[in-house]
Amino acid sequence: MKIIPDKNILLFKSCLVSTEYPGIESSTKYIFDQLGVEYIIDHEQSCCSGLGYYSDVFDQTSTTLIAARNFYVTKKNNAKNIAVMCATCYAINKKSVKLLNKNNEFRERINNVFEESSMKEMKYEKGSLNPTDNIFHVVEIFFNKKKEISKHVKIDLSNFKIATHHACHYCKVHYEDTIEGFRNPRMLDELVESLGVKTIDWYNTKINTCGAGFRQRFANKPISMKVTGDKLLELNEQNVDILIHMCPNCQMQFDRYQPYLSKELGVDFNIFHLNITQLIALAIGGDPYKTVGIQTHTFSIEPLIKRISEDTI
Amino acid sequence: MDVDNTFNIQFTIIFIYLFYVNLDLCDLMKVDRIKNNPLKLAKKILHDLKASENMGLLRCVQCGMCTSSCPGAKNSGYNPRDMVKRVLEGDESIINDEEIWNCFYCYTCHSVCPVGNSPSEVNQILRQTAIDKGIVKDKVGPFAVYGDSFLDIGIGAIPKSFFMELNEDIEGWLDLKSELEEIRGELGLGPITIPNESIKEVNTLLKKVGFNKRIEKMK
Ligand code: SF4
Ligand code: SF4
Repeated sequence: MKIIPDKNILLFKSCLVSTEYPGIESSTKYIFDQLGVEYIIDHEQSCCSGLGYYSDVFDQTSTTLIAARNFYVTKKNNAKNIAVMCATCYAINKKSVKLLNKNNEFRERINNVFEESSMKEMKYEKGSLNPTDNIFHVVEIFFNKKKEISKHVKIDLSNFKIATHHACHYCKVHYEDTIEGFRNPRMLDELVESLGVKTIDWYNTKINTCGAGFRQRFANKPISMKVTGDKLLELNEQNVDILIHMCPNCQMQFDRYQPYLSKELGVDFNIFHLNITQLIALAIGGDPYKTVGIQTHTFSIEPLIKRISEDTI
Repeated sequence: MDVDNTFNIQFTIIFIYLFYVNLDLCDLMKVDRIKNNPLKLAKKILHDLKASENMGLLRCVQCGMCTSSCPGAKNSGYNPRDMVKRVLEGDESIINDEEIWNCFYCYTCHSVCPVGNSPSEVNQILRQTAIDKGIVKDKVGPFAVYGDSFLDIGIGAIPKSFFMELNEDIEGWLDLKSELEEIRGELGLGPITIPNESIKEVNTLLKKVGFNKRIEKMK
């Protein structure tokens, strides 16, 4: 298995985490601090431009140019590794490192742009980052430390039925680097198990996409909602209480649109949507409002918190 | 005897006929192939920066695994196997085909393809080609503002043009936006925005590669 770092990490800011579920960022920081993972955040970092890239607005050159500037921000902080909280940041950054390392002509072109813009300190040096060994999803770092996480667990979640949704842009894009499988992904299931709960594991729509489809949610809502609804219907049939996410875009699709789909389909969906970082933070003692950030959820997490405190009494 | 002879003659005639027709067809096809260079489109796609290294486009065996796992195919007339077939036949009309806009970029096809092809990336490149030709303003126009706001604030954001609909579908979504800074404060998080100096850098770099012109052409 690849070596997963626990220091020299730039925690890469994500536009959707920042604006939709900031609790993912505060939960990540909380877990990192508890586990002694060393990281920095740099507000000079731009975002990955992935929402633009996958809605066909950003071309590869523009996206990689922004990525190369972010790689410079990483280097400036003496960080060697990038850890992301969003699956699309993961796919985009890996793709750009691969291109910059392998395509000499393209790298030259990007470096010339830096030179001509009086930012020559930002030039990318071939091989300075390795797509497999330096770009990670924070979940991989947690996975690597799941035994330690188990020791910190303070809350019993075993009364909940939990299922996982592994983000497509983590599992399927650079599948050669995916840990714990991409056809039956189990990374999140094993992490949940380290908190003392067995998940439902495989279900028929487990590897189905969330339905956001970048442009589809906005430009093609009926088919976007159909895909999201199919998954919710299966989880509902299986009486799942919590669906675990690892990407803010998937989380947005399910959490924000669940009440809408309840109305559309005439089915009362009562599934809580939490990011794995939020679930772990909650389980190891994080405050629901000051760390986990449940106040930005559309489908309220308060009944879940209430059930947990009733169970503990 | 007579019957046999008649049969033989007929058979020979049919044989000769088929032989010539076939030769003819072969010749015609050869000419056709050289004239139209059917792999031109496929090769253009393989050389595109968006294509993964060693993408197995030319190795496609038309097995249909991509289509069978595709959410776009399940819910619309889009068919990634057929899209790849048309690319390999050099059928450029695929660039104008409305159905390619039903792909989710979920990469499921990319992860199951037995020969390492990526219908998802083929699709992305076809759409880029359509954008470059300026024929799909109705498709990308609504998203172009994403580019404008990136130039203005140096980071990505959901396009403002979608705010009202999001707020209609999602109760309290805009209220949440107005409370965001406060909530981030409660969570001990820093600002969403990046420093002005960084915005300037991002803006300068993007303009240097003509990103602003690209955005204008989309509208
Ligand atoms: S799965 Fe791959 S080989 Fe099979 S039809 Fe699709 S692109 Fe071709
Ligand atoms: S990326 Fe597009 S073509 Fe591939 S499975 Fe997803 S929707 Fe279908």
